[in-house]
Amino acid sequence: MSALQAIQQQMLQAVLAEKAPPTNAIRSDDIADVESRLAIYRHGYRIRLRDALRTEFSGLQCMAGQRFDALLDKYIDAHPSEHYNIRWHGSGVAAFLAYARPWRDKPQLAEMARLDWAISTAFDAANETSVGMAELSSVPPDAWANLQLLMQENLQLLGSLYNIDAFRRAADNGAPRPRLRRFDQAHQVMVWRKGTTVHYRKLDPDEWPVLAAAMRGEPFASLCVTLAQHHDESAAMPRMVALLQGWLEAGLIRGLATV
Amino acid sequence: MSTCPAPSSYANNVAMAMTSTTSSGALPYLGYGLGLRVEHYESLLANPGQVEWLEVVSENYMVSGGLPLVWLDRFRERFPLVMHGVSLSIGSTDPLDDDYLARLAALAQRIEPAWVSDHLCWTGVQGVNLHDLMPLPYTEEALDHVVSRVKRVQDTLKRRILLENVSSYVSFADSQLTEWEFLAAIAERADCMILLDINNVHVSAMNHGFSSLDYLRGIPVSRVHQFHLAGYEEGEKLIIDTHDAPVSNAVWDLYVEAVRRFGRVSTMIERDDNFPPLAELMAELEHARQLAEPLLRDAA
Repeated sequence: MSALQAIQQQMLQAVLAEKAPPTNAIRSDDIADVESRLAIYRHGYRIRLRDALRTEFSGLQCMAGQRFDALLDKYIDAHPSEHYNIRWHGSGVAAFLAYARPWRDKPQLAEMARLDWAISTAFDAANETSVGMAELSSVPPDAWANLQLLMQENLQLLGSLYNIDAFRRAADNGAPRPRLRRFDQAHQVMVWRKGTTVHYRKLDPDEWPVLAAAMRGEPFASLCVTLAQHHDESAAMPRMVALLQGWLEAGLIRGLATV
Repeated sequence: MSTCPAPSSYANNVAMAMTSTTSSGALPYLGYGLGLRVEHYESLLANPGQVEWLEVVSENYMVSGGLPLVWLDRFRERFPLVMHGVSLSIGSTDPLDDDYLARLAALAQRIEPAWVSDHLCWTGVQGVNLHDLMPLPYTEEALDHVVSRVKRVQDTLKRRILLENVSSYVSFADSQLTEWEFLAAIAERADCMILLDINNVHVSAMNHGFSSLDYLRGIPVSRVHQFHLAGYEEGEKLIIDTHDAPVSNAVWDLYVEAVRRFGRVSTMIERDDNFPPLAELMAELEHARQLAEPLLRDAA
């Protein structure tokens, strides 16, 4: 190991540790002792990561309340940052909450973190174009069965048993913390970006299997079969039209193809 | 991703800047600028005042799409831009991050900045990023290491970069050179330029007990191409480079000395936190102009 490597590794350990191990590598003088000097870097590391995570996880902050800072500190201790962009330190928060005690006993926290992170990643995901009604209307009737709806790459579906969207909405709007609700069955929250604005909403029970099928690239005929499991024949058709109109309006479809 | 076409106003700004080069060579003189921050996006577009150029934090725009790049393109239409990174980690003993360099190069290609800068420091090692500007020991080994990496970065970007002096709170027993000797040697041997942060010179001088004037005198005039001006916070024993306060009187005094030594150098106010209304930063920038221009006129 070179002398430069050794110094950098000592500094790394000194910044990550609660208290610096003794080192002769750093000069002490009348202005300040080594511990006071290292403390500035150690304090700065934690503050910067906390600030970055606070920005990305506003829904989690709303849900965790006073426990939020302790949660962040434990995460920072357990997971040193690895990405050059400090924001990306947030990529492991949901997984951490899902396995680490005591938070794994409150699965709503991991679900909340997943929603916050999905919103964060959609914010600066690649730009995509959207298909409009005119383009969809121009598809010949006999081509619809094999029509493939190419959905936005930034579209994400998140399963949840809790009203996580309500917490995020409260955080976004500066509204009071909502009451936690646990549903009997998991529902899906959709996250996507239209233009430069990130959106999220809870999906209706009949919508998410159809949307998930579209995201898997299944043809339109297959989407109709999926929707028919929730509606009789007379109701399925107008419901599919409504879903398509909603997806077009939300800018969810980036292109059309044939299977 | 396509490159935004340069409107005529921007093209004119760049053309004017390119015709008034300093002794540093091909890099343009841009005048008096600000660091671009989200907090001032709208007010700066609505009232650019006497702000002549903007410095953008590279990493904030090394993204795939979305709102950050929309804003960046808007500012690119109105101002000459320079790119300022915080994560190159030029002094780390970890390998240079090829993905980072590729994204940096792509951003430079997209916005065609007047120049690209980062810091003379390391930000992480062993795969861990400390998100801080960690100082180096001023040794021959570190010098060789940084020089070789600067050359590689400059080859990748196909341009000379500027390296900025950082504020520091530790110094190393192994150091054989002063900070200014180290910075000057890197600039000469790697053929890169220097972004001199006047506040950082003052902060480090106070924290390590050296003379800030010795520092200025040790930096080759021909290598300095940009000044940063910023504020700091008084700690119990050390002063902390927060960049979240107005420029102090001590730093203004040192800026005057820097203008006397280095002459006409593109200058900007860098505020990273505790953001005041834009007008306050513009007033600081105007103060810099009022301090520098009489000296430059007298020297001419």
